[in-house]
Amino acid sequence: MESGHIIEIRGLTKKFGTFTAVDHISFEVGKGEIFGFLGANGAGKTTAMKILCGLSKPTSGEGKVAGFSINGEQEKIKRHIGYMSQKFSLYADLKVWENIRLFGGIYGLKRKVIAERTDAIIQSLGMQDWKDSLVGSIPQGWKQKLAFSIAMIHEPQIVFLDEPTGGVDPETRRKFWEMIYEASDRGITIFVTTHYMDEAEYCDRVSIMVDGQIVAVDSPKVLKEKYAAENMDVVFRTLARGSIRQ
Amino acid sequence: MVWIYLLEKEFKQFFRDPGLPKMLISFPLMMVLVFPFAVSMEVRNINLVVVDNSCSVTSERLIDKCVKSGYFRLVEKSSTPERAQYLMDINKADAILTISSDLEKQLAFGESLPVGIKVNTINGSKGSIAAGYLSNCISSFVAAENSGERLSAGNHIEVSTKFYYNKYMDYKVFMVPALIVIAITMITGFFPALNIVNEKEKGTIEQINVTPIRRSTFILCKLIPYWAVAFFILSSCLFIAWIVFGYTCAGSIFTLFVFTGLHIMVTAGLGLLISNYSDNAQQAMFMTWFFMMVFMLISGIFTPIASMPAWAQAITYLNPLRYYADAMRFVYLKGSTFFEVWYDALGLFLIGVAMMSWAILSYRKQE
Repeated sequence: MESGHIIEIRGLTKKFGTFTAVDHISFEVGKGEIFGFLGANGAGKTTAMKILCGLSKPTSGEGKVAGFSINGEQEKIKRHIGYMSQKFSLYADLKVWENIRLFGGIYGLKRKVIAERTDAIIQSLGMQDWKDSLVGSIPQGWKQKLAFSIAMIHEPQIVFLDEPTGGVDPETRRKFWEMIYEASDRGITIFVTTHYMDEAEYCDRVSIMVDGQIVAVDSPKVLKEKYAAENMDVVFRTLARGSIRQ
Repeated sequence: MVWIYLLEKEFKQFFRDPGLPKMLISFPLMMVLVFPFAVSMEVRNINLVVVDNSCSVTSERLIDKCVKSGYFRLVEKSSTPERAQYLMDINKADAILTISSDLEKQLAFGESLPVGIKVNTINGSKGSIAAGYLSNCISSFVAAENSGERLSAGNHIEVSTKFYYNKYMDYKVFMVPALIVIAITMITGFFPALNIVNEKEKGTIEQINVTPIRRSTFILCKLIPYWAVAFFILSSCLFIAWIVFGYTCAGSIFTLFVFTGLHIMVTAGLGLLISNYSDNAQQAMFMTWFFMMVFMLISGIFTPIASMPAWAQAITYLNPLRYYADAMRFVYLKGSTFFEVWYDALGLFLIGVAMMSWAILSYRKQE
């Protein structure tokens, strides 16, 4: 692996029968980068991301995530990544502290460490009053922030966020991005998919997927200049125009 | 160490569920206190109407014998057959016993049947059982009368029936071990399947899948609480049956637990299969319903396997409930040892291995 690249993918392909969901994609992500993974619905984003997280096996192609191969070292990858999905995925019938404790335990943290991190998370989110509430009963925005904190409880090198701000209000989205920047400042690499093109502007670099292929990878600034667009929305629409799957 | 956290999670979720803890208490109570009465094939309180054309001491004794058997309730002695038929038509009579005027003469010389039986078979099984009881009463009455007369001649054979293992033909004691079988199957097979599918539906399982935790550990920790519940239900059913009815297990209780353990292996495999093949609770419920129906109807729990046609009997060999229910009854009622019902253990074991392998293979394919 080249120095500084925490994700490196070469010719990644995933086929389901005769359908090629991901078609020979290659890219790399630098350490501590906020990498936006854009694409329309059905472009193959989620499939590609599942392979990077070790949830599914590639049909062909190779790559490394956090220094481990996506072919056969999935379980090692899982130790070094955090994941938060578009579907809210904490246990609604467990309390806030119980969710933190459960995931701390699953990642093999010591009892003492779990207790410390529980306090730290609750403190930094300002959720003291909700510590003993069932997660199902707290507002959506708080759930999302809690889920993000829990995804980082084991101090992973990379956090994968699958449409993390879906269904939350603009104010919460803004606060959520503050949290992403804080995490990035601590050296954690952020790999994020999103539908909001204004959020794409917040990323250090973005890739745009159309019909299973990556058609552009660069910083938003360069992309805007290249396509003479005033914002990322225009860039995205220019590139996605040729899609057959849409 | 991970499993401690997972078990803590599963137990907390179990006891926080609005329905499950209540079921944990009510299941054994219903199983032992309510269902044995509900599924009983015993028929009592058969409404009997008598048309007595003989009006003799003998006919009085016959009627008395029928009523004293405890199965019949004498509605009235009708004067005419038409009146008796009317009572049956308005559903006041389940059976009509007609005694001919020459009862005593016929009994003495024994040429033709001195009585007639007519039963109401709107409720088919009640009707046929009533007919059976009534003809039993009459034939034993006739036999007693005849033997009394021929006693002087000596030389008569008395046939009597003696029941082993369930001396008083109490249907409830027969059903208790079988109902435990149904409860254990529900708790350890279908509930965990619904639980896993529920996590699929909510998306939480995805969060678990991206952690380094092994899938087998996760599933095992899901199953364990239900196993604990299963053994709790088994123990409390046995306890309630003892306290309330005075029923005790004729064999070793340990053997019951061993068979329950074996059966749990089968149901765990079945539960995992269902959860692999369903994406939402609706599909899981439907499959559960399908399997439960088939399993119960061809298990021998409600109807004897021996009286099924050969092809249906062949199907029962694929049914894990057949083996478990058979073993539970043999051990509980008859006191069989593990080695006397080894074939049931073998059947459960083979089905368990097949289901587990299928479950594991079908899961791997999903990746």
